[in-house]
Amino acid sequence: MAITILAPAPAIIPYQAESSPDDSDDGGVDLQGDVSMRPAKRARHSREIITPGEIITDDAQWMRGHGTYVAASSSEIIATVAGTVQKTNKLLSVRPLRARYTPEIGDLVVGRIIEVQSKRWRVDVGAPVLANLPLSAINLPGGILRRRTETDELQIRTFFSEGDLLVAEVQALYQDGSASLHTRSLKYGKLRNGVFMSVSGVGGGGGVVRARRQVWTIDTAHGGGKVDVILGVNGYIWISKHVEVTGGEAAITRIEESVSSTVYSSQNDAIERETRREMARIGGVIQLLVTEGLRVDEDMVMKGYEAAVEVDNLNTGESNAYLSVEKGQEVLKLLRGI
Amino acid sequence: MAPSSTQQILLSPAELSYIHTSLSLSPPIRPDARTASQFRPLVAETDILPSTNGSARICFADGTEAIVGIKAEVEKSRPIYQQNVEELDLSAGAADDEDEDDEVGNGVKGLNEWVELSVEIPGFRDDDSMPVFLSAMLSEALLADGDFTKRLWINRRFHWKLYLDILLLSQPLSYPLPLLSLTTHLALLSTRLPKLKSELDEDPLFDDDWDASEFLYPRAVGKARTRPPVTLLVMAVQENIIFDPSKEELAVAEVVLAVSIGEMSPPSGGGSMEVDSGKGERDLRLLAIRTIDPPSRLTHSGVPNTLNTATGGSAAGTSEQNSSQRESVVEEGVWQPPRGGAKRKLIAAMISKVLERGGVAEEVLDGLDAVELG
Repeated sequence: MAITILAPAPAIIPYQAESSPDDSDDGGVDLQGDVSMRPAKRARHSREIITPGEIITDDAQWMRGHGTYVAASSSEIIATVAGTVQKTNKLLSVRPLRARYTPEIGDLVVGRIIEVQSKRWRVDVGAPVLANLPLSAINLPGGILRRRTETDELQIRTFFSEGDLLVAEVQALYQDGSASLHTRSLKYGKLRNGVFMSVSGVGGGGGVVRARRQVWTIDTAHGGGKVDVILGVNGYIWISKHVEVTGGEAAITRIEESVSSTVYSSQNDAIERETRREMARIGGVIQLLVTEGLRVDEDMVMKGYEAAVEVDNLNTGESNAYLSVEKGQEVLKLLRGI
Repeated sequence: MAPSSTQQILLSPAELSYIHTSLSLSPPIRPDARTASQFRPLVAETDILPSTNGSARICFADGTEAIVGIKAEVEKSRPIYQQNVEELDLSAGAADDEDEDDEVGNGVKGLNEWVELSVEIPGFRDDDSMPVFLSAMLSEALLADGDFTKRLWINRRFHWKLYLDILLLSQPLSYPLPLLSLTTHLALLSTRLPKLKSELDEDPLFDDDWDASEFLYPRAVGKARTRPPVTLLVMAVQENIIFDPSKEELAVAEVVLAVSIGEMSPPSGGGSMEVDSGKGERDLRLLAIRTIDPPSRLTHSGVPNTLNTATGGSAAGTSEQNSSQRESVVEEGVWQPPRGGAKRKLIAAMISKVLERGGVAEEVLDGLDAVELG
């Protein structure tokens, strides 16, 4: 069947990231169903979605937090965003269902060049305002360390031009909420050999969450070889073929050798059919996690990918990387079963 | 050529090259691993607006969503000073008798002006080229067979005037034509008109019981029936023909066609056709084809490493030389925007792939049949 037509279903309430820091070391998959009822400090969420303008409570004992508003001369707390109520002790806040990414210093982001100016680029990182990437914040090809000259300014488009994708780190924040990025590391730079996808980021709802590792390599099944996944904190994701870096350990002392000549290349290497297929499969898994309102991080993507490969192997007939609605359900069942 | 996209989506040359190479493999590997003729799952419902004669909503997997509402009004027909309507009936009346009541078979004649179609897309003015082209393409498909307006005929003095309001709720992420067309299709299928109580050329009087109302497209069980048209978007990359392209896939397309198909009730004389087609076969007709300007032509070509100063290559002296070199270099992994037109053979293959037995159009119509109506 070429087309699947579904009946409308109620919206999924997204995964709620726990706000306390101690849950990162308990290891297990934290699906939306399991709310461990630890007393006191834990923030408590209700599953109910409230809309902007709705009165949450008129009880004066609550304090207003993010996403709420108190009109003058009343004690009613009114929601200003659509989302779920979160109660931390006596603090009442509303977590938005969807929000734009708010940059924070040190975030690893994937961005797209929107505009080229004389000494800087303007980069779309999914934030309310475009981020800046100054010419001085990039590595020059060959790793030469010197002042940026007018020659560099004239050929600014040979480094990045409009539409190019890059992975960078947030270096500084400005008053208006815009970010300044830098790519001054071997990990960062222009992206090629892969596909881009955009999901919701840290702002709210299911999507990419801040994790220990945002970049890792998957050893794919079916002879796909190694595939790199970059989960930008802003919800932009890059899935690409893994390219072995020559040089390795000596990188810090001899930067000019390891910043290979291909950092600013926009030419793809040869990528095999199998690799392309597995990259499409990883993309499908991430898309599934997002539509189901689950968090997207290394752990979940790896488990989801293994489940998807398993479901595909169980299926008789031709191996197909496409995650149809039924296959997606099977993958979710496996994920929840672990 | 219809205008390409609602907005140019910005992709890097490396991405374009990756998607293009993947799609030109055989079989193509699409970014979401669908097969070439597979559609993304969509969410559909009908009769969502209680005060309309018919309505539908469709939500595509990429988040684009459309609502169509249909309103019918009784309108006085312009007097037609034309006597030879019999001639017209000889050709069209015969096929018409099949699914229409015999009493209206005589002198039934529709005018295109009885249908008013408006497309609204957020961020676009009414007179922008995009909504104008979309509504032209949709009404072209709807009016192509000349049968549709006959359904709006009440008697010699009155007719229904149908207002189709097509509203795209989301941003136009990809080319919204198939979405709008499918939603219009469902809305037309769910459209009901009050039952006529008066006879002949009297002032029309209707049954005020809504349960007694009649569908604009009558649903006879087990009988082949006419259906509103469906417009599908088909694209090609080299020899691969791809259906339901996402916006990334459209960005590398070499040829994009909007193919409108309709389903006819079999002609009364075509008994022999029914015999070999068996039951459940559809008599598909090609109603309209439009080429759509592929957005890939507006992209810049990628810079190969040999011409890129940042990767140790050497750029040509002047920018003209540089761009001419970039155009001529054919290298693996470098994006080259498609040049030249579409091959006739390819366009023919695309059309036949839509229309063939058990092809995509049949499956789409089967899928739409399964949507719960009313």
